Order: sequence, then structure tokens, then C-alpha cells
Amino acid sequence: MSSNKYWKGVEELEQTQEFVTSNANEFSEGLPLEKIFSNDDATRANRRDFLKYFGFGLGAVTLAACNKAPIKKAIPYTEKPDNVTPGVPLYYASSSVSNSEGFPVLVKVREGRPIKFEPNKEATYFGGGLDGLGHSAILSLYDTNRLKGAMVAGKTKPVAWADFDKQVIKALSTTNKTIAIVTNGSTSMVTNQAIADFKAKYTNTEVVAYEPISYSGITRANNASFSSAVIPAYNFQNADVIVSFGADFLGTWISPIKFHADYSKNRVPKEGKMSKHFQFESLMSLTGANADVRVPIKMSNVGQHLIALYREMGGATPVNGMETAGNSIKQAAAALKGAQGRALVICGSNNEQDQILVNAINTMLGSYGSTIDITNYYKGQSADEKDFDAFLAKAKSGAYGAVITLDANPAYSYAGSANAFAKIPVRISTSITLDETAETATHIATGLHPLESWDIKQPYNGRFIFSQPTISPVFEGRHVASSLVAWTGVDVKDTEDFSHAYVYAKNVFTSSIGTNFNEAIEKGIVENVATAAVPSFNITTGEVISEIAARKKADSELILYQKVGVRDGAYGNTPWAHEMPDPVSKVTWDNYLSVAMADAKSNGWELGDMVSVSTANGKYDLPVLIQPGQSKGTFGIALGYGRVLPPEVQNDLKDLGQNVYPLVDIKGGFANYIISGVTIEKIAGAALHEFGMTQSHYSIEGRDIIREASLEDFKKDPKAGQHVHKPKPITLWEDYDYSKGHHWGMAIDMNACTGCSACIVSCSIENNVPIVGRDEVRRRREMHWLRVDRYYSFEAPTTKDLSLSIVHGGDQTVQAGEQMSKEKVMEAYAEASEDKATAYDYYENVQVAHQPMMCQHCDNAPCETVCPVLATTHSSEGLNQMTYNRCIGTKYCGNNCPYKVRRFNWFRYNENEKFDYHFSNDLGKMVINPDVTVRSRGVMEKCSFCVQRIQATKLVAKRENRKMNTDEFTTACAQTCPSNAIVFGDLNDANSEIAKLYRDDRSYHVLEELGVKPSVQYLTKIRNK
Amino acid sequence: MLKLEGSYICGTPERAHYQMYKLKTHIALTALFIFSSTLSFSNNMSSFYSESTFIALVILSVVLAAIAALLFGIKKHLTALQNEKIGTEDEPSFYDSKIKPITSKWNPTIATLVIAGLLMIVLGGFGYKFGMDEVGVQQGYSPTQPINFSHKIHAGQYEIDCKYCHSTVEKSKSASIPSLNTCMNCHKYVKAAEKYNGKTSPEIQKIYDAIGFDGDNMEYIKGYDQKPIEWVRIHNLPDLAYFNHSQHVVVGKVECQTCHGPIQEMDKVYQYSTLQMGWCIDCHRERGIDSENNAYYEEVHKNMIAEGKDYVTVAENGGLECSKCHY
Repeated sequence: MSSNKYWKGVEELEQTQEFVTSNANEFSEGLPLEKIFSNDDATRANRRDFLKYFGFGLGAVTLAACNKAPIKKAIPYTEKPDNVTPGVPLYYASSSVSNSEGFPVLVKVREGRPIKFEPNKEATYFGGGLDGLGHSAILSLYDTNRLKGAMVAGKTKPVAWADFDKQVIKALSTTNKTIAIVTNGSTSMVTNQAIADFKAKYTNTEVVAYEPISYSGITRANNASFSSAVIPAYNFQNADVIVSFGADFLGTWISPIKFHADYSKNRVPKEGKMSKHFQFESLMSLTGANADVRVPIKMSNVGQHLIALYREMGGATPVNGMETAGNSIKQAAAALKGAQGRALVICGSNNEQDQILVNAINTMLGSYGSTIDITNYYKGQSADEKDFDAFLAKAKSGAYGAVITLDANPAYSYAGSANAFAKIPVRISTSITLDETAETATHIATGLHPLESWDIKQPYNGRFIFSQPTISPVFEGRHVASSLVAWTGVDVKDTEDFSHAYVYAKNVFTSSIGTNFNEAIEKGIVENVATAAVPSFNITTGEVISEIAARKKADSELILYQKVGVRDGAYGNTPWAHEMPDPVSKVTWDNYLSVAMADAKSNGWELGDMVSVSTANGKYDLPVLIQPGQSKGTFGIALGYGRVLPPEVQNDLKDLGQNVYPLVDIKGGFANYIISGVTIEKIAGAALHEFGMTQSHYSIEGRDIIREASLEDFKKDPKAGQHVHKPKPITLWEDYDYSKGHHWGMAIDMNACTGCSACIVSCSIENNVPIVGRDEVRRRREMHWLRVDRYYSFEAPTTKDLSLSIVHGGDQTVQAGEQMSKEKVMEAYAEASEDKATAYDYYENVQVAHQPMMCQHCDNAPCETVCPVLATTHSSEGLNQMTYNRCIGTKYCGNNCPYKVRRFNWFRYNENEKFDYHFSNDLGKMVINPDVTVRSRGVMEKCSFCVQRIQATKLVAKRENRKMNTDEFTTACAQTCPSNAIVFGDLNDANSEIAKLYRDDRSYHVLEELGVKPSVQYLTKIRNK
Repeated sequence: MLKLEGSYICGTPERAHYQMYKLKTHIALTALFIFSSTLSFSNNMSSFYSESTFIALVILSVVLAAIAALLFGIKKHLTALQNEKIGTEDEPSFYDSKIKPITSKWNPTIATLVIAGLLMIVLGGFGYKFGMDEVGVQQGYSPTQPINFSHKIHAGQYEIDCKYCHSTVEKSKSASIPSLNTCMNCHKYVKAAEKYNGKTSPEIQKIYDAIGFDGDNMEYIKGYDQKPIEWVRIHNLPDLAYFNHSQHVVVGKVECQTCHGPIQEMDKVYQYSTLQMGWCIDCHRERGIDSENNAYYEEVHKNMIAEGKDYVTVAENGGLECSKCHY
């Protein structure tokens, strides 16, 4: 039985004054009527004003009526390509833009314009999903600030490629010093071949790889342990027990989309079994939010915890210097031992020693060959900061005559690189935008956007991902490989039939991968993998352990982490990624100092207080965000913010957040993201920072929205967690018979859903949902049709807890499993601890539940009955229809919606310079889905169950004279979900996946007691405690 | 100008009168011009006038009207002065002599109501026309196209199937205007030279100019900078309505002419139907779906027979539900 008290944010739990006030209203702001009707003469409109405005209004309307509807042109192709049918989308297999290592996707193209990424379901190894940033990055193609052609320092206009090449060749061939090529650790085989060609001509060339986020701890450890400096492939689908030490593998660690798919396979209980996931971490990550057992620790002491685990596993270690995190390491070890060969231990530390210990533990567990594959290893992150440091040192000494940066941006993300680069006389960049590195370049050989390019990438050893152009180049860029080859003196002019890059890529394919290039391009993926080998662990751990044990324990630590939506910041100029709320903190458009409640209380900080963070590497002013679940004494700041964008960018992307890359500690010989020696002080007198936060915009009011149960209870009773009093439904309406035709429905498995929020962005792109910017989010006017609610809860007390603390101290009446209020939890923690100051530690032990929430398409929809103009009505297929052109904007429906999923267009978000995002510029508009209306000011909107896809699929079936198969399409959210948590389909089709899920014992409707009969079912969350 | 007018006034009264007569004619002509230009603009002859031309005309009309009013005032004033000087009696005005005897017999209330009513009807008519234009109801819209393409010749006289040119009508939401290479399938050879003294027809020449074809040597010009033909779109559905040709042509088996009218008789295409929602709905209420021959409608057909009906209309099958067309 689910007995937890849930809360959406700290404000709700603590019932702060602002929360209580703002929560009383449905929309955050009413009309400013008081102002209008006040007696204040300055603001009061008098009769004359009224007549003036009335007269002007009448005149304006009359004039507007004289304006003729504009002449519309219809311009056909002069020569239509064979495969293009205007009005019908084409899908091309390609690679995701933001996942630069290569991630298979399909690109939906309408009349030559890529408009959306869709998962490539045939690439099953990668899971068939996509993340939020991956979707957002399509806007980088339509970025008006892209460079228009080859640029030379000192000139504002592009120069002709022929002249540009002459200049570059002259510069490169006259230097007698070394030429450096800085790559992004590219997995692109085309670029790598071009580099090889370049080196053949310029033998004085050195190549160095650079990546903003380092995983060198893992590669170095694997080199030491197995003589193989690689990041292995992790197979979460084979793991029954997962123990992660600060690795946010569902959010940001290595390859999270693929990990999502694998992880979720074992998260849905089948025959009473599901995987067990322990997470030891300091910040509250997306992964931690999904763990069965989450233990807050200090990441700076992660090594000591690893020693404890190693010892529990039977390794020989000294007792000193261990951290056992209470009983938790013991529990984790017991679980791991019980799952030999089906277990996985991972660690997010970038310290080689920690990773060696992890390797040792995994070897003991028999993980290699099962959950860890070192043969078909991951190739996306191969850079080692040691090499880059050496390069910078040499550059400073003036050893290089020229540097070519290929899609790398060290000036932004590596402190000191700008100074070193300045010592190199010729600096060539291939960036497509004027990023921080390109800004300082002497020559910019403007590249092509990945969606305009041919490419072959190899994210995993033996797995090749193909990119093909889906649009002809928007500007006068040139493929990076063509540029490199051009500088060797080869003519790279496109022939009449083929571009140089195509011929080049095809040659790379035929010389090293296969013979049928066309088939590879069509599928987008070629896999040629070997059986996973079991490497032998050839290192003694004694020395490593004694060194870790000797580490000084820090009182406080600052952790530099990545946000799920923004990641390393490379696509920091895509507004969708910023408007997507962070899955855990629910903050949009900001980075901040994340602090634990205990630290906030002891320092007297509150939400939004500005603090200055001083370290050896600089001082930063940031707002405070209190994060439940974060361990005491740890602070977090997200990387990837503070991008320097061109001056033309004047929207919320401008000066967004602080760039904390310079804080990364490289003194220890590796990039350490855990910083010690940080002082944080409140800035006296600074105004409170207001976050654009979606988390507490609506409150739960103690309703039974989330249902969950433990695996033990679920095994005993498949309906565990759902035994709530169900009132007998009484309805005023006549029942409609939905058994004929289609009846659309959706099921969301809360066990599979991790809250990653990819669905939000996919939905926004599919349905032309506008970006509103930070200020509007602050006013609770975000337009997302789909939100992912995040609820915190404390664990319900067990009988054991009661016998210990609560009975002694406070309320004697509490029963085991009873709803646990904040006060009771506080008492329990205060009692259990001698030290009253630790009373706030209860905030460390929260558990999280995510729940995607969109229009529930209620069969008895409360919104429909209150609309005065019948703008929202019900279809015979169970859809709650919203007709924009009929809506007059009374907002009654929004007020009457129990799920709070209706969104009102407070402004016209297109063609409006105040909302200068893609809807307001000619290039950005190309991404608009032509099958969905762009809404205007003053109308309500909401999830439509992707009715455009329903209609399109029905039509194909009708045209082909056949019955429709409901599994042949799905909604945008379900399609992109990397963990397959959302299923959509026809409830009347008994064999469909959705009908099966509706019969599942775990399924329930949110707020079913209202009798509104929603068409979305949720499946009770089961935790493997 | 004033001086010039003054010099006329110095002449005989008859001459002045003649001048005024001329002025009246000017005013009347100006008004007529403004009226006709406004009307023609609202009549969707918009391809003659660009929007900026229209605005220029309006400004010009306002300026001319102001000048006319000024001159009329001066004239009136001067006439009064002259009459005073000459000492003649004021002639009874047109109003006093002609209109007053009639109107004095009218009941003022009824007369006001009648005149107001007439005005309402006239203005309302204009308002309705403007309103319809504003919401995009353009029945009868027949703009001049960049090429005087005749459906009467192609579809009527030569009986070319509509789908030969509008080839995506069965596959897509849009029937699509044919690309130039479709035209060239025939017009590479068909030049209508017999009508033009052995020269290529000037209309066909426009195709050649756009795609880059040398009609004399019968070959394509290499490296030609092709220019697409910018047709004026006649049927403009608002963005908020989704219409799919293939649904109607393939599934609904609707003839092109049902909505587009006798297209095979049109030299110049005009919008035959109103394209208003009521027009859509009327058809959806009357027309039956072809449930018998389409496997998609198997269940519907079974239910239909069970209920003893002859056919199921589109409306009965959910064809009036909002989100069938609006999303």
C-alpha cells in the first residue's frame, strides 16, 4: 500500500507563504483589475480616454478591414526530384547531431527541409529512443547566426573558397614549425581519413584529441588493468544488480540513451523479478532519482566507499580509511554476491585509482563478457587531457606554426587554452558558428552542419553509423574532409553528379567496411561485432588501496556536473534544450549552486539567494537552489552554461548562466570534477534570483496521484499499492459506446519511466509548441503539452523505525506504514540522532517518482462541459478535441481541468520580436511541422494524442484498402521514449500492446475518483527495496 | 494655383460657371476612379494592383479630395462676393428649388428610417464583401497567372487526364502544380507554332525561358539558371483547416469537378466553390462512404447492414468531428 506523503518541491513541504498564496490560483496572475478600477488618477482610464481608444480602435478596425488578403504564390519545382511528393514526408537514416560520436536516427524531411528526428527502430543495439538535447539540436541547422562561408580574420564578409584555400595552403606550407590538428576525439572515419591524407602531405603534423568532458579515469584504469585504454560497452540489460557510485548513466554518463533502453528492460517486474539498483552519490542525479536504494555520500570519499565494497566482496584490504555509508555498502555487497555474472559496478569518478578498484570488483563479479564488453568498446570518448595539456604547454613555448581545430571548442571549455592558442600564428577553425574558438581564429573554413554532410561514424567498435545530407547546404560551408584534402592540393570541386564529400565517404566505406554503400546509407547502420572477450585483470590492488585510504577527507566539496538537457554546452544555443525543465530540479534556463537543505539552513540561505563561489580558479556569482536528496556538505554547479554567443543573439540565450569549466581541477594530472577548498558566501544586498521553475507550479494537495509498492508486496499481491477507497462512479452523462471503431488510449509505465524528459521536447517539435523564455516560465506560462511531474517523498516508517525513534520521542499514535507527515519524519530523524543540528538530514533521504502528465482525454471530460463556444469537444474515437479557431479564450476549460494540462497562449509567439526564437525568423520557421496549426494569441491548447499522426495513418490504410494496424504508428512522446515507458494505441484492438497493458494489474487512472474516465493509464511504480 | 483660379473668376460669370462645371466633372471622375479602383481591388483583381499601388492610390485620392473641397469652398465664397458686387439675387439653391418640395411632404420618422435602412443595406453589403474577403472566402477569384494556361485546351479539347499533371493528387494532401519538366514532356515538341507564323507560342516560350530550353535547336541549355514559375494560388484554405486531396479522390472517390467546377471549360481558372466550412459540412452530411469496397471500413459496413441501412454518410462515420480537419 502506498502510504507516502508526496510533495513537489521544498516550498510545498515547508508550506512557505509565497507557495500558499500562489497555489490558491489556477493561473499565476489574474487580470490587473484592481489597477484599472483603483482611484489612482495616474492609472485610471477616464471617459475621454475611453472615447479616444474606442474611436481609435474603430478606425483601426475599419482600416484593417480594407486590407486585402495577400496574394499567395504557389511555386512548383522546375524539375521535380523523383522521390519527392509535396505534402508527404520522407525519412532518411542518419546520425543524431548532438550525439557527435554517432547515434542512429531517422530524419523526417518535408519538401527538402528536415523537421524532426525520429528514432531508428532498426538500430536495436542503441535502443530506439532519443534524448531531449538530441531533438533540440535540429534547431542548430536553422540557426541564423551560422557562418555564411569561409571567413578570414579582419573581414566581415565571406571570401571565395579558392582564394581562401590559396591563403591557407600558403600559410601551412611556409611554416617550418609543427602543424597541430585538434580533433573532438572524432569517431568520424571520413574525417580521420582526411587527417591521414593531410598528414601524408604535411608530415610535420601532430594530432591531438580534445573533449570537454573527460573519461580518462576509465581509459587509464583499463590500460593499467587490461592493457587496453578504452571505455568499455556496458550492458545494463544483463545486470540484475547495478551499483553505481556517482555515475549518472541515465542522464549524462557516456551513452545515456542506450543505457536507458538497456536499463529499462529489467526495471519492469516480470514474474516477480526486476533488477536492483543501488546509487551512491552526492548530488541528486536523474539516475539517483530512479534508484531502488539511494545513499547520499560525498563523492570526494568515493574511493573509501569502494574499498569498503571491495572488502565486503572478499578483497584483502586494511580496515583503516573505509567508508561504509552505514549499512548500505554491506547491503550492496550482499546483493552483488547473489548475482554473480549478472552484476555491474560503475563509478563516475574520473580518478584512475577509483576505476582500477571498480575493475577489480567487476572482475570478482564476473561482469566482463556479460555486463561489460571490452571488445566492442565505446569509441565516443577517446581524448586524454594529459595529451592536451602537453599540447598546450608546447603551444605556449611557440612550437607550433599552425593549428587546425576540427569541431572542437577548447577556448570555451578548457581554461588556459585561449592563451596557448594565441601563441600559434595561424589558427584555422572548421566551426559552423562563431564559437569561442572560432572567434580567435585567423581562418574559418566553415564546415557543414551534420544534417548537410556525408559521414561515417563508429561509436562502438564494429558498429558504423552513416549520415547523409537531408538538405542542400543552407550556407556556403564545405565538408571538413573536403577542406583538409583541398589543402593538400587536391581539387575538391563537386562534379555534376556527386559532391566531393560523397565520393570521399564512399571510398572510406569500400576500403574498410563493406561493398554495398547504398544499402548502408539506407539502413543507417552496419554492425560487425565480435564476441565479448573476458580480459584478465593484471594488477595488484594493494598499492591503489593504500593510496586511496590515505586520501584526505574533505569537509565540503563542489561537484561540477552536467545537466541532462544541456550536457557539455556544445549545443548551448538551442533554446528547446534550455526550456526543457531539468528532470530533477525542474529549473529551466539557468545554472545555479545546488545545495543540501542542511547546508542552506545552517548558512541561512534561501531559494534564489545570490552567493559568490570562490575557488583557486576564480569567483562566480550564482543563485542558490535547495535540492532535496543532496548530501550534506556537497555543492553542485552545472557545466555547459555561460556560452559567448554572437551579439545578434538577444533572447534568453544571451549571457545564460555561468561558465564553470575553468573550475575543473587539472592539477592532479587528470580533469577532476570534484573540487575542494571552495568558499561560498552570500552576497549581501543582492536581489533574490527568480528561477523559471516548473516544479511547484501545480500542487498535489494530498491527492492519490502517485501509486507505488515494494517488490515484496507486489509479489504477494499484484494489485499492491492500489487499495484505495474507490467511490462508486455516479455520472450525470449518458454513456457513449466507444466499442465501435477506434478508441485511443495510452499507458505509461512508471517503472520504466525515468523522467528523462525527451518526450517533452519531441512533443514540442512535433506539435509546434512555442518556446516562451525564462520570464514567461516564471509566470507559469510554459506551453509544454506534456510535462513530467517530479514528486518527492519520504519513506514510510517501518515497524522497526517506530520502535526506535518515533515512539520514544513524539507521536505514539503512528502506525507502521501510515502516512508519514513532514513533522513526523523530522521527529524521527531528530530523535534518532543525538545531535539536533542533523535534524535536517531527512532531506537527504528522499525518494523520487516521475510521472509524465498530458491531456488525459477523459471520456467524461470536465473541460468540455464548461466551454461556452464548444471549442473543445469529444470525438467518437475518444479524443478530447481542441479547435483553436473556435476558442475565444475564456480559460474556463483550464480552470476545470483536474490534471492542469491545458495551456493558454498569452501572446502570439510567432512573428513576435519579444519571443525571438525559431518561430520569429525565416530560417527557424523551416522546422515548423506543416501538418499542425501554429496557434495564435488568446487560444487554449493541449495534447491532441498526435491526432495528425492518427489521421495520416488511417488515411494510408484507407488508400491501401486494408485494415489499420494500430501498432503501425505511435505518438511523438511514445516514439522517442528511450525506455519504452509510453505505449499508445487502439483499446478496441484486443491484440494491441495498449489493450494488454490496460488489463495489467498494476494499471490505474490518476484521480479516478472524479469519474472523468481518463484515457491514459499509469502503471504502479514498484521499487525493489 | 489660387491666382490662376482667380483669373478665371475675373472673367464672365458664365465662364466661371463653366469652370465649376468642369470641376464638378473632375470630382465626379475622381470619385468614380477611387470607387472603381477600390472595387476592383476588392474584386480580387489584385494581380493588377500591388498593395503599395493601392495605398498610393488611396493617399492620392485623399489629397485630391482635400484640394477639391478647398476649391469648392473658395468658389462658394467668391461666388457670394461676386453676386454681392454685381448685386444679383441669389438663385434659389438646388436643394431649395428641387429637393425641399419633395422632402417636406415626407414623414420625418419614416423618411429617416428608410434612408438609414437603405444606407445600412448598402454599407452592410460592402461590409459583408470586405468581411468575406478578410476571412478568405474568395469564390469566383480568378487572378491573372504568369502563363495564360488554358484548362479548356488541355483538359477539355485534348482530354488530358487531370492526374497526368496533378500527379500527386492520389498520394498527398496537395494535388500539386506540375513541375516544368512535366510540361516539357509535351511542349518539347508542341510549340503551337502554326498559330504564330512558325514561331513558338509566347506562352510556351515562357516555359522554355524558365527551364532553359532552346526551342529553335530543340535542346536544353547547359548550366542555365532556372527560374521557377510563380503561379498565383487560387484555392486558399486557412492554415487551421487540414484538407487532403488523396482522402477525397482515392478514398471518397470524389470527381475533381465536384469541387473545382467545370474546369475543362475554363480558359482562365476561377474558384468555383466557396470553400467555406458550411460547404464542406453539407457534402459530408449527404455523401455516403464507400464502405463496401474498402477493407478499412469492414466493421462499419457490417454494422451498417446489421442496422438495415443502405449507406453510411461521412457525418455518421465521424466526419463532422472537429479534429478530423482542425489540428
